Amino acid sequence: MKLDSKIPDGPLSEKWDRHRFELGLVNPANKKKFEIIVVGTGLAGASASATLAELGYEVKTFCIQDTPRRAHSIAAQGGINAAKNYQNDGDSIWRLFYDTIKGGDFRSREANVYRLAQVSNGIIDQCVAQGVPFAREFGGQLANRSFGGAQVSRTFYARGQTGQQLLLGAYGALSRQIAAKKIRLFTRRDMLDLVVIDGKARGIIVRNLVSGKLEKHSADALVLATGGYGNSFYLSTNAMASNVSAAFASYKKGALFANPCLTQIHPTCIPVKGTYQSKLTLMSESLRNDGRVWVPKIPEDKRLPAQIPESERDYYLEEKYPGFGNLVPRDVASRNAKHQCDIGKGVGDTQLAVYLDFKDAIKRDGHDAITRKYGNLFEMYEKIMAQDPYETPMMIYPAVHYTMGGLWVDYNLMSTIPGLFVLGEANFSDHGSNRLGASALMQGLADGYFIIPYTIGSYLAEASHDKVDEDHKEFNTSYNEVEARIEKLISIKGKRTVDNFHRELGNILWEYCGMSRNNNGLKKAKKLIKDLRAEYWENVLVGGSEYDFNQSLERAWRVADFLQFGELMVTDALERQESCGGHFNENYQTDENEALRDDKLFCHVSAWEYRGNSRKPKLHKEPLKFENVELTQRSYK
Amino acid sequence: MKQASGEKCINLKLKVWRQKAEESNGRLESFKAENISKDMSFLEMLDVVNEEIILSGKDPIALDHDCREGICGSCGAMVNGRAHGPEKGTTLCQLHMRHFSNGDTVVIEPWRSRAFKVVKDLVVDRSAFDKIIQAGGYISVNTGGAPDGNAIPVPQEVAEKAMDAAECIGCGACAAACPNASAMLFTGAKISQFALLPQGHPEAKKRALAMVGEMDKQGFGNCTNEKECEAECPKGISIINIARMNREFLKSSILS
Amino acid sequence: MHWNSNRFILLLSSSIGKKLVMAITGLGFCIFLISHLAGNLIIYAGNDAFNSYAERLHTLGPLLILAEIGLLLLGIIHISTGAYLFYQNFRARPVRYKKKRNAGGRTIGSSTMPYTGFLILIFIVFHLVDFHFVEKADRSIYQIVLETFSNPGYTIFYILSMVVVATHIDHGFWSLLQTLGIDNLECMPVFRVISSAFSLFVGIGFGSLPVFITLIT
Ligand SMILES: Cc1cc2nc3c(=O)[nH]c(=O)nc-3n(C[C@H](O)[C@H](O)[C@H](O)COP(=O)(O)OP(=O)(O)OC[C@H]3O[C@@H](n4cnc5c(N)ncnc54)[C@H](O)[C@@H]3O)c2cc1C
Ligand code: FES
Repeated sequence: MKLDSKIPDGPLSEKWDRHRFELGLVNPANKKKFEIIVVGTGLAGASASATLAELGYEVKTFCIQDTPRRAHSIAAQGGINAAKNYQNDGDSIWRLFYDTIKGGDFRSREANVYRLAQVSNGIIDQCVAQGVPFAREFGGQLANRSFGGAQVSRTFYARGQTGQQLLLGAYGALSRQIAAKKIRLFTRRDMLDLVVIDGKARGIIVRNLVSGKLEKHSADALVLATGGYGNSFYLSTNAMASNVSAAFASYKKGALFANPCLTQIHPTCIPVKGTYQSKLTLMSESLRNDGRVWVPKIPEDKRLPAQIPESERDYYLEEKYPGFGNLVPRDVASRNAKHQCDIGKGVGDTQLAVYLDFKDAIKRDGHDAITRKYGNLFEMYEKIMAQDPYETPMMIYPAVHYTMGGLWVDYNLMSTIPGLFVLGEANFSDHGSNRLGASALMQGLADGYFIIPYTIGSYLAEASHDKVDEDHKEFNTSYNEVEARIEKLISIKGKRTVDNFHRELGNILWEYCGMSRNNNGLKKAKKLIKDLRAEYWENVLVGGSEYDFNQSLERAWRVADFLQFGELMVTDALERQESCGGHFNENYQTDENEALRDDKLFCHVSAWEYRGNSRKPKLHKEPLKFENVELTQRSYK
Repeated sequence: MKQASGEKCINLKLKVWRQKAEESNGRLESFKAENISKDMSFLEMLDVVNEEIILSGKDPIALDHDCREGICGSCGAMVNGRAHGPEKGTTLCQLHMRHFSNGDTVVIEPWRSRAFKVVKDLVVDRSAFDKIIQAGGYISVNTGGAPDGNAIPVPQEVAEKAMDAAECIGCGACAAACPNASAMLFTGAKISQFALLPQGHPEAKKRALAMVGEMDKQGFGNCTNEKECEAECPKGISIINIARMNREFLKSSILS
Repeated sequence: MHWNSNRFILLLSSSIGKKLVMAITGLGFCIFLISHLAGNLIIYAGNDAFNSYAERLHTLGPLLILAEIGLLLLGIIHISTGAYLFYQNFRARPVRYKKKRNAGGRTIGSSTMPYTGFLILIFIVFHLVDFHFVEKADRSIYQIVLETFSNPGYTIFYILSMVVVATHIDHGFWSLLQTLGIDNLECMPVFRVISSAFSLFVGIGFGSLPVFITLIT
């Protein structure tokens, strides 16, 4: 298999325009003859569904939750980037492009990232027109704040609920098309398999989560917008239903999986408290705009924060990175927090936390100004920790947050299976080995509103699409396989619950394939995961029954995939013998403990091809070419 | 520093509504929740109980939940007769066990409203809310061609008020807590958001009529201004939004 | 702007429309109560003043009858709409909670509206029988009032009824402002206070009469 990224020719800034001109079009009258399945109603899926329906396609939209509005995107807090340069502080499309490429540690495609920066401005306009209540200045203009990894103020926000407001905007657009009968909505459906007919993606098998019955759905093209796989780690900031299953099913059907080892650990989360913990809560990165990160200068200092005088506090980020201070990119901030805890300077009961202090900001701007910016975050913190962050510094620790890896897609966002398009966090496309804050929302909406509508049309215009029957042999084979796997899971009736396995998998991945990795640990993890997977299929205990609303079974299916996928993550991490962004291999670091890339050997995307449950997947490399930026050692000093 | 008082762990007696499916009969079933850390969230406490249930070979308690951060609106149940439990401005997933005492009996029931059918145990069907939004809870703009974001200035206080209304997470606590099972706060919040913002004005009349009509059709009760919705709303959305909806609706009905 | 009868029917069949009907008829009663109370307070001015007020009122003739028919209509609409809303609201929750607590939004007034309404209806029937349809040929209205309130049982019934009326108004008056959409964030607390003050005024105004009368007889 040859990976063709289909990057258009021409100068960087003209590629997308030129490409749009060259893409085939579907005659308006013909659009209604095409059915498109969209799986997922997060920012990517909802915006794609709505826009495709507006264009005239017949759309069928699926999601796990009881309503599209609850997709995981709802939880995004901090904001969304755009190169508007409203602040007149030197921003431009080029700067957003450059920041994203550099922030991603030079492991993403120039052409994709440039396009992302280009369409970013249109997203803000679109969302404002939809009635998204972005924060405003007194004069009525849109307000901005700065976010990690950037020195300009380009982040648009709606209090600490930007994801919610953007998603509700897209959900509104989706609802409008449902009312217009252009979208048929299927909620509480879990995509369990992809159906490929004559080499093209033609349908899905879903489980109706209420009745437990399996359903077959066919289409002329498919859009997968099923989010990221952060929950492989058990504990993450992702919503509980976030999973890898839809992407993994596609991988098993021939879609390559790119850079699975690239996960992002977010520096500002509420620390873990006990083994019962079911998920981690993010404290938006925007807090680092005003909060100052510190630990006691002396290790093992057990005093309360108020008792530690200024002179005995170590503001390690400000000291080490005077240029960016507390606003260094996420991977840098996370690794530094871990480092402080590793050398015994961690705070709190578990000593796995650092302080994020607002005292100075409150003194400077006043209590009210801080409340306006972060009120809901402070409230959330107080609810969980029973401590008032206005009075005492927050305690924070890094947590798994985002996955840069995902299904491999070309410039058209099409996977290696023709007709299967992948959007949002589910694809690998734009963030390289580390995503900048406020760029995921931008990417999800860019994909859904402004890219897929063009590229899917071209696919539909070019290829011939005979209608396929849902009784086609491939549908039935798939259906039977899924049914058999469900029956198997239910019938094992072992001794350990699904969560119990999941927690163990999470521990392994966090320990050996988390914030920093090394070759020995990765090898060990590989073996541990393999054994755990073997045990799973003999000893898992799934509650409830098959044809029923059964949340235990839902999780059992997902964990089965996480287990297999975990191995792929580790395999990929082992293969990438360098450090870059979120992938920090201890064997490769600079003297200052920064990630040390190897641009000679690893300036590529690693895309993995599935070859059966027992065979090692095959690695394909897509070389990354940098014609417009110079590969440099990232430095935030 | 405020700390959870007293012992770290508590034991509780749960009485949980169990109902196999929409058409089955339900009843309260008792469970023991033991050694519950006060730092746990309510859902984590239920996780612990469910693990026990699964290990004993029985059917775990079904409950919708997803973000566990109080923003997706999935979770929700009546806890001792209060929507999302006894704490103000809190979703069930953000309710912590430090608000309970050792030996408490905790009654957990699903949202009750004619418009919300029980799917299983504590899970209810809230698609009626989606229907209300589909009736007009949006601004009709197609993708593309939107003017520059700064083309229409929105005064800060208006944006803030619109945001106050837009914070709704669609959990259904308002209708569940309302003595009349009315969905006026939910509907009012959306109508308000768009009534406040200039972008929403062109469709304001149509929107108010259509959304209120759909709300009625779904079988929700009539608001009698009891304010229970506001008191239970995890986002503290004000009933002022209901007044604004009334105004919008009356304007659209009488002046056309 | 033009009148649209279809719209109007739609309005009245909607939930907000029905609330509007309750609000407007309720407002009508509030206005009636003010004038009624103003008249009654003349009792404090003594026998002659009150009797001459009653006489002057009766000289209005057809106008008075018109007002009475109007009140009757208001009553019928208010009660039937209220009853229908009550029925609809009851039906909106077919399965009730085993355990339900208030979250602090409800007041005694708000939670008892249908019941206080019903009690007020009973009171009005007695009230009309005692003061309106009573044989007036040989007695002045002042005498009737004195005689009726000389019965301590009736006096207690009357005072309790006024407490009920005040409770109904306490929620009803604020509620109608909310329903008419007049309420807003800045005014809400003020409206609440006005509503309570108004209810107290009506309750004490009417309720003090029998006390005054018991004292002077
Ligand atoms: C706490 C938190 C805060 C964040 N804050 C920010 C921020 O401030 N700025 C920013 O830019 N990014 C932020 N992010 C990242 C960003 O929110 C996500 O990357 C982005 O929302 C992903 O959107 P998506 O549309 O790709 O997928 P999601 O929103 O995850 O949606 C996935 C959809 O797919 C459906 N689905 C999944 N699997 C299946 C299946 N098997 N069958 C059927 N349907 C399925 C789900 O039901 C859901 O509808 C944050 C992330 C987290 C966790
Ligand atoms: S689980 Fe999302 S609000 Fe509670």
